[in-house]
Amino acid sequence: MMSFLTKLRVVLAILLCKLLRFASRLLHRGGTAMPGRIALKLCPDLLSRLSKGVRIVTVTGTNGKTTCSRMIEEACLEAGLDYFSNRSGANLLSGITTEFVMNARCSGKMKKHTAVIECDEAAARLVFGQLMPSVIVVTNLFRDQLDRYGEITHTLSNIREGIRSVPEALLCLNADCSLTASLSLDGLPNRICWYGVNELTGFRSAGSALSDASHCIRCKTEYDYDYHTYAHLGGFRCPQCGYRRPIPDYAISKVFQMDERHSDVLMQTPQGVIDLSVNLPAVYNLYNAAAAFTASVSFGISQEICCSALGSFSCGFGRMESFPLAGGTRMILVKNPAGCTQALEYLSQVQNPFVFVFCLNDRSADGTDVSWIWDAGFESLISMSDRIGSLIVSGERAEDMRVRLKYAGFSDQRILVIQNPASLVDHLETLDLPVFILPTYTAMLDLRKVIVHRCGGAEFWE
Amino acid sequence: MKLKICHLYPDVLNLYGDGGNIICIQQRLLWRGIESEVQRCQIGDRLDLSDCDLVFIGGGQDFEQEVLLPDLQSGKDREILAAIQDGVTVLAICGGYQMLGQYYETYDGIRCDFIGALDLYTIGSHQRMIGNTVYRCSDACGGSILVGFENHSGKTWLGPSVQPLADVMVGYGNNGEDKTEGARFLNVFGSYSHGPLLPKNPVFCDHILSVALEHRFGACNLEPLQDDAETDAHRAMLERLGCKP
Repeated sequence: MMSFLTKLRVVLAILLCKLLRFASRLLHRGGTAMPGRIALKLCPDLLSRLSKGVRIVTVTGTNGKTTCSRMIEEACLEAGLDYFSNRSGANLLSGITTEFVMNARCSGKMKKHTAVIECDEAAARLVFGQLMPSVIVVTNLFRDQLDRYGEITHTLSNIREGIRSVPEALLCLNADCSLTASLSLDGLPNRICWYGVNELTGFRSAGSALSDASHCIRCKTEYDYDYHTYAHLGGFRCPQCGYRRPIPDYAISKVFQMDERHSDVLMQTPQGVIDLSVNLPAVYNLYNAAAAFTASVSFGISQEICCSALGSFSCGFGRMESFPLAGGTRMILVKNPAGCTQALEYLSQVQNPFVFVFCLNDRSADGTDVSWIWDAGFESLISMSDRIGSLIVSGERAEDMRVRLKYAGFSDQRILVIQNPASLVDHLETLDLPVFILPTYTAMLDLRKVIVHRCGGAEFWE
Repeated sequence: MKLKICHLYPDVLNLYGDGGNIICIQQRLLWRGIESEVQRCQIGDRLDLSDCDLVFIGGGQDFEQEVLLPDLQSGKDREILAAIQDGVTVLAICGGYQMLGQYYETYDGIRCDFIGALDLYTIGSHQRMIGNTVYRCSDACGGSILVGFENHSGKTWLGPSVQPLADVMVGYGNNGEDKTEGARFLNVFGSYSHGPLLPKNPVFCDHILSVALEHRFGACNLEPLQDDAETDAHRAMLERLGCKP
């Protein structure tokens, strides 16, 4: 029996959180994290109290968290599940708590009993134990914002510690990522469902000089690869200790078609093979789709519904999001070398002339260190040079990006610097060509605000 | 005219865009009509620096630095030592810079012997020294101002037979205490500056190139380049950090 005082504390924390959120929306702020942070001060175990009785699938990892979560949401939606999620992208303990409170009654009873929660990889350690999710997806581990996360192995142990507090949860792990797959090496009691991409025969796999995991995490010997899909993902095996890519339960076994807008693939499942259409382009979205499919099926949603969801899915919020600006504008969020190199690889498949825009910010959510732009393969843009109608750099570190493109081989005269988001959109409005904008996280938020204001679209928390 | 460059452990010591230094070196030579050739020396490869003009070593994560130590000790260390004595130009950043020193002692007192080419050593700390930096090079290093980004927890202390590369204006530098940054010995340049270091510091890049070219070809006169993009980016960071250019 909850003591009266405890009960009072919970109710007060919920009320306060709801009030703060209401106030920040009135002021047209997102108010996604702050209310939860303050509520947690009043009632530190608020999240674990609220999450009781809610069936949760949570997604963590370096790249693809938001896209994968939204794919799972789409499957939940089509399956008729009454769910909620942290769509705003506030994925730390505070933001997740806010989301739970907003879906709770003042008494502390939840209004909905299913949730899809994206969780920051560094927050997994704190969050998992309080969420007690039934399914945990780990998408991949790449080098990302070392100024914030520290070394990759540190992020890995954060996730591992988080998982240790939920031995009942089913893990959906990327078999092709030697770092992620190593979670199975430490005798965690959890059941594991593996997913992967078996090969990309006939489709160019992006060669990246940079590998975040060239050597065996167990014995430090260099891996051999049967094939690469991109970055360090693929059929790895250690010649010394035998650690190797696990055989996936769910695998994309054949790619029939991959164009600017979508991919048609064959998915191998324990129940047989099925045709799957993914309504998003690029190789990394094949992984997001495989992860979402595996997680949704593990969550009890039928394969048919998963297929239908992935076929009609559109992500939005800066991830391959389209806007009716210039001759059609697509925004592709980039955060780290692996993701950026993949976005450039996607551009190489675009047949018609386009405008290339890169928006580089260095606030803490972007990473204060912008040196990662030198680890991404902008040199590949040179081969598209005659299709690039205009080359624009923007954002608070636009000057750094200008230098990067110059050293990638573009003439400095060709590079247009438009630092301010509003001026950038003004300029884009005068153009007729399709535009591809690659922004970092806060640059995306700033730019999206301007574009949505002019062309329509949802606010970031919607 | 051709400059031979060796990029040591490019797959393992590849942190924070350090590879951008190689891109920068090659482009600035190319724009002046000077050929260059980069030999990428990996773990397990034989290192032969007898014909090499410039060695570049970047920084790595702890896991990766552990991976390469045995390889370094299997003969590469002696080759690097000899090359440095012969006056080969070396640019080493962060982990690579520490590696040229005597040893690294972890915070818990575990000592790890390094190449010993430079009279310096590094002690691990629990303080992470992260952020944008401004350094002023000594005259022996060209005298220019350097902007960059540092991210290290090792504190490096210089012995009497090496000179600091620069004085710290903004940031931590070698150890956050004595206001020195990097080290300079024979034709070796060591620095904690990622960023990468060279693209936004074209004067310093050209200084290193002159040292390497002079050692190989005698007198060297590098023709000036149009450095508007580099200078603008350099100045933008100085202004942001409140330093007068």
